[in-house]
Amino acid sequence: MRQRLHPLTPLLKGAKLVAFAVVAISWRGLSDLGPLHWLAVMGAILVVAVLVSAVVWLVTGYEVVGRELRVYEGLISRRTRTIPLERVQAIDVVRPLLARVFGLAELRLEVIGASKTEAPLAYLTVAGAATLRSRLIGLSTGVPHAAADDTAVAFSVDNRRLLRAQLLTPQALAVPVGLVFVTWQATLDPTWTLIGAASTITAFLGVFQVPVRRVLDEWGFTIGTDITALRVRQGLLNKRNQTVPPRRVQGLRVTWPLLWRSPGWARARIDVAGYAGHGEEQLRAGTLVPVAPTAETLTVAATVLGAAVHATVTAPPLDAAALPVTAPPRRARWLAPLAWSRIGVAVTDTLVAVREGVLTRELVAVPLVRVQSVRVTQGPLQRALDLATVHVDTAGGLHAVARHRATTDAYALADLLASRSRSARRAATHPKVSLAKPSTPRPATIPATTPADQLPPPAPLPPASSPPAGPTTAPAAVPPPARPPAGPPAGPGEVPPLPDRSPAGPPTGPAAAPTPPDRRPADPPPGPAAAPPAA
Amino acid sequence: MTAPPDTVSWRSISPRYFWLRLTVLAAWTLVFAVAAAVAALLVSAWFLLITFAVLVLGSLRAVFMRRSVRAWGYAERAEDLLVRHGLLVRRLSIVPYARMQFVDVTAGPLERAAGLATVTLHTAAAASDASVPGLEAAEATRLRDRLATLGEIREEGL
Repeated sequence: MRQRLHPLTPLLKGAKLVAFAVVAISWRGLSDLGPLHWLAVMGAILVVAVLVSAVVWLVTGYEVVGRELRVYEGLISRRTRTIPLERVQAIDVVRPLLARVFGLAELRLEVIGASKTEAPLAYLTVAGAATLRSRLIGLSTGVPHAAADDTAVAFSVDNRRLLRAQLLTPQALAVPVGLVFVTWQATLDPTWTLIGAASTITAFLGVFQVPVRRVLDEWGFTIGTDITALRVRQGLLNKRNQTVPPRRVQGLRVTWPLLWRSPGWARARIDVAGYAGHGEEQLRAGTLVPVAPTAETLTVAATVLGAAVHATVTAPPLDAAALPVTAPPRRARWLAPLAWSRIGVAVTDTLVAVREGVLTRELVAVPLVRVQSVRVTQGPLQRALDLATVHVDTAGGLHAVARHRATTDAYALADLLASRSRSARRAATHPKVSLAKPSTPRPATIPATTPADQLPPPAPLPPASSPPAGPTTAPAAVPPPARPPAGPPAGPGEVPPLPDRSPAGPPTGPAAAPTPPDRRPADPPPGPAAAPPAA
Repeated sequence: MTAPPDTVSWRSISPRYFWLRLTVLAAWTLVFAVAAAVAALLVSAWFLLITFAVLVLGSLRAVFMRRSVRAWGYAERAEDLLVRHGLLVRRLSIVPYARMQFVDVTAGPLERAAGLATVTLHTAAAASDASVPGLEAAEATRLRDRLATLGEIREEGL
């Protein structure tokens, strides 16, 4: 059934238009027209704006059909936008100041691959927006969505600490210095004009607005978890409610800024694919912990990371900071004299974590399920020192970069990451694909478990999957073992490779490339129909 | 190079790509050299230095061109595509077929004249760097079809 937006919508949108008009013509207009004419013009603009908005409101509607949201727009050229809900990354409820006055809210859908926020539904009642969001999320995830009351609060920011923390930023500290400088200049130099002072102050306000906006945006920041998603609430003036399904979390970054080190604070961000906004918008979209003591930040990070890795909120936490990190070889200090003892990388079956930075320390963790590609780069200096850098790319803006590994390690690590992310992906999709599969997550069959000398201090493998199955192949000549060893599988926790997913075909090296590889008997013929009915 | 680079057999790109790059380089070098020479005639003799510098840089680049074209290589493994390139800065990308969003085959006018094409594999990550230039047209089509097929089979979304 097609539904309209809230009837107050045209008034609010009209008011916005009028505000623009006022700003545009006020200065000159007021003096040219005289107050009476000016009021008449304003009135006319108001009427026109509200009329236009009313027509727009009349022809705009939305409808949930099956697993799609349809948005109807346009009077003359009509447009129906269909948004498949599986592709929705996140659904936010945003409450701009003006809308809050009227008790209204805006619903924003973030869609994979869209360049901007898709189909903002403005405005709905707050309750209506919440209900619609629950319904859409339920349809998108396939799990009935819990009501907002069921959320357990995982983290809630201390507003006073937020304020103090934002005062401890370079931007905030720059302001008094700037003010002193400006007054000093003004007293010293009598020709220092008002315009000069004003522009300097404007510049400082521009700098200072960053911490101010952080405070306004992150005021009352709260993360709740319910069965299906993380729920983020934040904002002092503009309230914002975000719902992020854990499987959309592409990575996590914990940052220890230099100035926050003495109070022992940290902040954390998550990267959610599909957030279209740029700069500030994106920044806001991904805040996980605005500021908190290190231990608390890491606890929240571990909870979210666990949820992201296992794609359910109820998953056990996963503390990336506790993973043993392997440092680069000593010779890396020629390239990173300060950082070399800090940087390092840790790999488990499900996660890659990277430690970085000297002044601003960082920890970046990416679930292997979310890895898009792995790259190795080696600059001329690195080549001279026999070092290379491994990059792990995700769909978001976050990249885990393991700098200055020994070259052989770097390639082995890249290969290990490639094969483990493959196993992780398979483990994630497999239960949906084949019902015959036991429900235990597939232990990463890691053919590329490199010979012990290849990857230094054995990349922290959880004990469960320690004995590599079968003879260790050289680092992924053919990624999975050419043929699973006949007879019982080697590892204790090893699940026998299934006929449908493991490439049991002839070893398809690149040499044998032209033949489509591992066409498995169980597989349907390739083609659109062959896509696993996973999603 | 070691590890994966040694354990997979790399396919190299068409040697014609070298001539293509060389033609482009020669054209640009000439354009700049002639422009600088004209400026030398009209403005100041100092511009001859620029002409000279352009010619030297162009020839240096030409000397390394063959090696840089040879540095390009790609390998199709069962589950992922490997692309390596670069002489000064060496790069290796491992892109799983499952992560493929779409495949581009592009051929500029010069590439078309040489019967070559570039295959680019796009993932959701902007940084994934899996582009193979200078493929014979037939090989480009084969690679594209294979990637498309594999991508469909292994489609696992985001």
